[in-house]
Amino acid sequence: MFTPIGSAEATITIFLDGRPIPARAGETIAACLMRAAAPYFRTTPVTSSPRLPFCMIGHCFDCLIEIDGVGSRQACLSQVCDGMRVRTQEGPAAIVGGQTQ
Amino acid sequence: MNIPTKPMLSGERQDALAVDADVIVIGAGPAGMSAAIELASAGCQVIVLDLQPTPGGQIFRALQSNLEARPSTDSLLAALGSAYNAGRTLIQQFRATAGIDYRPETTVWDLRADGTVGWLKGEMAGYLRARHVVVANGAMERPTPFPGWTLPGVMTAGAVQTLIKAGRLQPEGQIVLAGTGPLIFLLADQLRRLGVRPALIARTDRFRDKIFALPHIRPAGIPALLKGLGWLARLRLAGIPMRSRVTELKAQGRDRLETVSLTVAGRGMELSCDLLVVHDGIIPAIELAHCAGLALEWRESDASWRPKTSQDGKAQMAAGPALTSGPCRIRISGDARQIGGADAAVAHGRHAAKAILAELGRASVRPPVGAADQTATDVQRTMAARPFIDAAFPLGLAAQLPDDTTIVCRCEEITAGSLRTSIHGGATDMNLIRGVTRCGMGPCQGRSCAVTLARLLGEAATRTPASPAPFRARPPLRPLPLGALAKLSGLDPELAEVVSLEDKPEAALGGDTNG
Repeated sequence: MFTPIGSAEATITIFLDGRPIPARAGETIAACLMRAAAPYFRTTPVTSSPRLPFCMIGHCFDCLIEIDGVGSRQACLSQVCDGMRVRTQEGPAAIVGGQTQ
Repeated sequence: MNIPTKPMLSGERQDALAVDADVIVIGAGPAGMSAAIELASAGCQVIVLDLQPTPGGQIFRALQSNLEARPSTDSLLAALGSAYNAGRTLIQQFRATAGIDYRPETTVWDLRADGTVGWLKGEMAGYLRARHVVVANGAMERPTPFPGWTLPGVMTAGAVQTLIKAGRLQPEGQIVLAGTGPLIFLLADQLRRLGVRPALIARTDRFRDKIFALPHIRPAGIPALLKGLGWLARLRLAGIPMRSRVTELKAQGRDRLETVSLTVAGRGMELSCDLLVVHDGIIPAIELAHCAGLALEWRESDASWRPKTSQDGKAQMAAGPALTSGPCRIRISGDARQIGGADAAVAHGRHAAKAILAELGRASVRPPVGAADQTATDVQRTMAARPFIDAAFPLGLAAQLPDDTTIVCRCEEITAGSLRTSIHGGATDMNLIRGVTRCGMGPCQGRSCAVTLARLLGEAATRTPASPAPFRARPPLRPLPLGALAKLSGLDPELAEVVSLEDKPEAALGGDTNG
């Protein structure tokens, strides 16, 4: 859906669900994953529908993703760091040490 | 219910509270930057809190880093054109002005009328207080609920522009642009320069809107109109297919967008599509003003709220009990006050700053007679094209309220049908509907659904309420990690002050009310 304008200059690496993805220092996680053609960032808690970023400026919260172990962070407002581990979120969050209903 | 009240702080006490700066500016877009430059140049201590990593706001997003990355960003800068590159001088001036304490990547999650601001940066959070606050947090694109608008592959025009500016990415594949307003033509022209040809520009506006808008043309607005006509002419010359009077837009697909269907002048059409870009004008971002208890007005023609302000941006408190005592110390500037675009935001930021300087008794040497209202005149001049633009591009995708099966609340996936059921069941208040249906209770806190729900309430009302009230907004307005909350600095003086134990809930005194 999106392709780099000019050369991508990806010099660092982040990991999406364990898969290495080249990233450019200074870009947002959302931009990086859109370039990598991630099919979705999360599935919704209610109907498990896939979502990608919609507004890209922090209003819609559709780009929520797990970043370095912290869930539901806005990928459009977070910059990439070398070695960052990002995970897609599936459905409702699980309660740590318990079960969701 | 017996709500304990707290004694009001006396005026003397209020003044004695320590301040961290003369002025806190929220947002570093055109309005915030221009206000900060004006204030700091007059000797004020200014703290600027910005959600973004570099100054510029959304319009000049990542301009600084794109300029620094030249020549590899030359084609990008050329495609974005003068509307984007125009921010260069303002950003340089902002960076060079002494007395501006710029704090990037900082989220504001609380605002109070007494000048207290809750902030978050990384894992650190705290409160800051100033004698004056300028709210310049800008605008958002009007939410446009239509069937399929939550599918991956549907994005707003602003989102695509952000991906171009900050992501250095361009869309590819079969692209459809749908909606109305200058931004969609600007984006289409920028795409054209990048060599990207949209399959269709589906316009909701009609030729007759332009005819009706003609009486609104003002001489000072003509340059903006010529710019718009230039975009249209270049798109036509490039042979990019364009249809107007588009209605009944639908995005279809299983796990992502596959096809778009729409009606053009009564005839249905369907085309395969990889990216559907929608835009229906922009509306003020009201969450900060609303959280601070400021008065808002609902404007039916814009289908949105905006804060009630005086010409210099001074906000007023909403009727009813206030959380804080003393005068309102907030001014609202730029698109957050009234949609006008970058030039108007720069002019208004300066105008608001002048008013603050006058209140602080720091107004520079008296301006020569006749020039006293220069900043006010600039505000008027830069807004001159707005009445025409508003009339020429009326509500499009959002003009018709969504049908019952369409999702209104993207977070909780609540359809217009469930909301109508609730409303027909007797609900007349947005907070009640939120409690019953969870509409507006998801992570975006109602940013995407509030205006639609307000209109659904209006649709059912036998007598239209003067101004529908949005969902009550409470801090934190944006997610605040518990760790940051635990380490909160600059603890809110009013919260830290124990007035009496009687204002504490029973549970805090050892009672177990919740079982």
